[in-house]
Amino acid sequence: MGVWNPDQGGDARMLIGMDVGGTNTDLAMVGEEIVSEKVSNTRGIREALLKIRIPGRLAVSTSTPLNRVLAGTPVTVQTILVPGPGLFWPGGVKGAVNHCGDVVEPIDPQEIREILMRDRGDALAIAGKFSVRNPALEKEIASLAHAQYPVERTSMSYHLADLDFPGRIATTRLNAAMKETVTWLAGEIGAERGDVLFFKGDGGLIPPGYAVNNPSVLAHSSAAAVALGARYLSGITDCTVIDIGGTTTDLVPLLRGVPRMELLVHGGERTVTRAVVAQSFPYGGDSLVEGGLLPRRLGDALAFGGSHPTLTDALNVTGEEIGDAAASRRLSRESATSVIETYLDRISRAVSSIGTRHLVGAGYLAPFLVPGIASRCGVRYTIPPHWDCANAVGVAVSRVSLSLHARFDSGRGWVAFNGEHQPLRSMGDDDALVGICKEEVQKRAIAAGAHPEDVRDIEVLHVHSYDVIRGASRSSRIADVVVQVAPGITVKAP
Amino acid sequence: MTTALVFHPDFLLHEQSRDHPERRERLSYTIDQIREEGLMHHPAVKVIIPGFASMEAVSRVHHPEYLAFLEHASRTGGFIDFDTNVPPNLLSHALLAAGGAIRAADAVLDGEAENAFALVRPPGHHARPGTGAGFCYLNNMAIMVRHVQQRGLEKVMILDWDAHHGDGTQAFFYEDPSVLFTSIHQSPFYPGSGSIDETGYGPGTGYTANMPVPAGTGDESYTYLLETIIEPFAREFRPDLIAVSAGQDNHFTDPLTGLALTAAGYAGLMKGAVGLARELCEGRLVAILEGGYSVEGGLPYNNLGILAAMAGLDLRSIREPEVYREWLIRVSDPSAHTRVRENAHALRTRLAPYWACFR
Repeated sequence: MGVWNPDQGGDARMLIGMDVGGTNTDLAMVGEEIVSEKVSNTRGIREALLKIRIPGRLAVSTSTPLNRVLAGTPVTVQTILVPGPGLFWPGGVKGAVNHCGDVVEPIDPQEIREILMRDRGDALAIAGKFSVRNPALEKEIASLAHAQYPVERTSMSYHLADLDFPGRIATTRLNAAMKETVTWLAGEIGAERGDVLFFKGDGGLIPPGYAVNNPSVLAHSSAAAVALGARYLSGITDCTVIDIGGTTTDLVPLLRGVPRMELLVHGGERTVTRAVVAQSFPYGGDSLVEGGLLPRRLGDALAFGGSHPTLTDALNVTGEEIGDAAASRRLSRESATSVIETYLDRISRAVSSIGTRHLVGAGYLAPFLVPGIASRCGVRYTIPPHWDCANAVGVAVSRVSLSLHARFDSGRGWVAFNGEHQPLRSMGDDDALVGICKEEVQKRAIAAGAHPEDVRDIEVLHVHSYDVIRGASRSSRIADVVVQVAPGITVKAP
Repeated sequence: MTTALVFHPDFLLHEQSRDHPERRERLSYTIDQIREEGLMHHPAVKVIIPGFASMEAVSRVHHPEYLAFLEHASRTGGFIDFDTNVPPNLLSHALLAAGGAIRAADAVLDGEAENAFALVRPPGHHARPGTGAGFCYLNNMAIMVRHVQQRGLEKVMILDWDAHHGDGTQAFFYEDPSVLFTSIHQSPFYPGSGSIDETGYGPGTGYTANMPVPAGTGDESYTYLLETIIEPFAREFRPDLIAVSAGQDNHFTDPLTGLALTAAGYAGLMKGAVGLARELCEGRLVAILEGGYSVEGGLPYNNLGILAAMAGLDLRSIREPEVYREWLIRVSDPSAHTRVRENAHALRTRLAPYWACFR
């Protein structure tokens, strides 16, 4: 586990970010200066890891390979639901946990065994209503299913901590589909370096153990990486980051340095996982030029050894020098000018509709296209240094971010931290409970590799408490508290 | 179909005292249940956060002297009756509850939702023009009804199914033929009013209908009253809006009452009311929470059942956990249904001179 050690000397301050993309892996080493490198993925992740020859904190964004897993051959997920009383869920099994976390109806082990015999999948998702208050039934089902589904192919919903059964079902199904890959990735990277952190879609970092329990947080993290990187490199907090990649152009508005987040939707189902949202357009440097600009990629640009002309080639034909510019000349000047106009028009319209005043460019083609977009929209623009590896820089400078959902119940004698029960011997007032939660999340974040200065400010998102009255007198007290170490840039970023 | 769920986190704050039956804990489990069922993000449910009712809206029904008393008592603390004291800051909580009822009606009138459930605290149906009573301070229902009439609706039918007679609401509309007040409640019981002989006065004669039911009354009897009294009555009155005082203290686990309605029974009642609203007034229905003190037991399932019925969701799993089954058997009284039928017959006879459907 990567714990900061201020006594380790100068190198320990190095922040290393790695963004595993579609064809290349971007590396950024952020210290007194920033060094970046691209490594082809054909040689595997371990090869990229070998390039890092310096000590420091390694953070990895694996969004692209995970998105490919999700978009590739579907993993068949068997789902076992324990809905209990309330809204109807088809195929639910017997058993119920109530709103207080009491098991009020047991599961029927024989029913579970029969379902496991009848339906088989590649992975198993288990979700019970109110399991975040008591995970006993989910754990019991996982244990019954263990022979058929080992741990790395079983996901349970109680880890997700939010009270939102449908959202947890969708997230647990997504997690079940990703868990084996994330477990493998964690092992692969961990074999080379024991101190890795994973980059989340909300722009924060978590250690591998957290990622394995909730892999959904790792998906769709590209927007967060580039937003964080562009903000760090430019120092501009109110702007729209425009990231021009190979196949897409993404717009990420920042307000006071914070991008907008939404709940992730996968396969049409809303999850409980929040991720930075980008407005994405299917045009980038590798977009095919064939009778116009097409939202398709047929390999690299001519300038980079490809066989079909792309938007990058069009820029070369109009006077830029990107890669082997001479190879781009198969494209006519007229076509080149026309597709660049088309691209600038489409993106400018989107930028204008956002109503931004300042564009910050990122991605390899940013210096060639962002000035034209800014000029059409009448807004300022900045191309920060290291614009072409802003994503990897964003991953490098991110900080550990964790949330803690706590449920205190003095009558039942437990506190559930993110669904896991611990004994509760005494319970103070609301301020004391918030203090306990802050301390707990700080402790967890530091154990996860956070720098102590990054966890000084804990956000309190929710506090609600009440007395439990039985027989007209106070019998106990319940409190719900949610705190978090928010995502952001680590204080250790130079 | 969209249902507006009108809720403000501050609805959880009001408390007369820490161990009063109408306390914070009361709605906390319900909100947990609604959140866990995913209804805060459901396409059929629109969550609306209300603001405070204006003093103008509240003054349409309550005497200025009473409002001045509440304002003063909210600063110093005060006393209304043995069930109802005035804790500091009460007026602000009461105005927020009334604001919730108004906002629910506006959501329906403005077409934001077909119907709306105002999950408010403190409740209101015992509050009369000049005083509060029975845990109630401002009559959220009366304030909402006068608000919709101010906005142009003419006729409102109120169905008050709280276990206690809605004496406060009845008092506001007793002489008013624009509002048909109907109430199903346990009798004999607090507040003591609500007999079948109370049918209105002056121009309002025949526009009040009380359906007292004995302890032990369950789902069968409520369905019977819905089908034989409320539905024909509504069809003849032809309201522009149906308003439900949704008290949930008739549940068999309620510690303050002796009725035997189940969560499925509540959902069925609301499904019937929604059907009536569709048939008669383009679906316009506003439900306002009143009582209900089975805090840990039935209340979360009842509130969920009502909301699910309003939103047209699948009701087949709306039920209590199996552990409560024995309780239901103990509370139910099989002989109650005969009494309910007798009372219903007497009520029909009492109302027959005014309404063709009861002749």
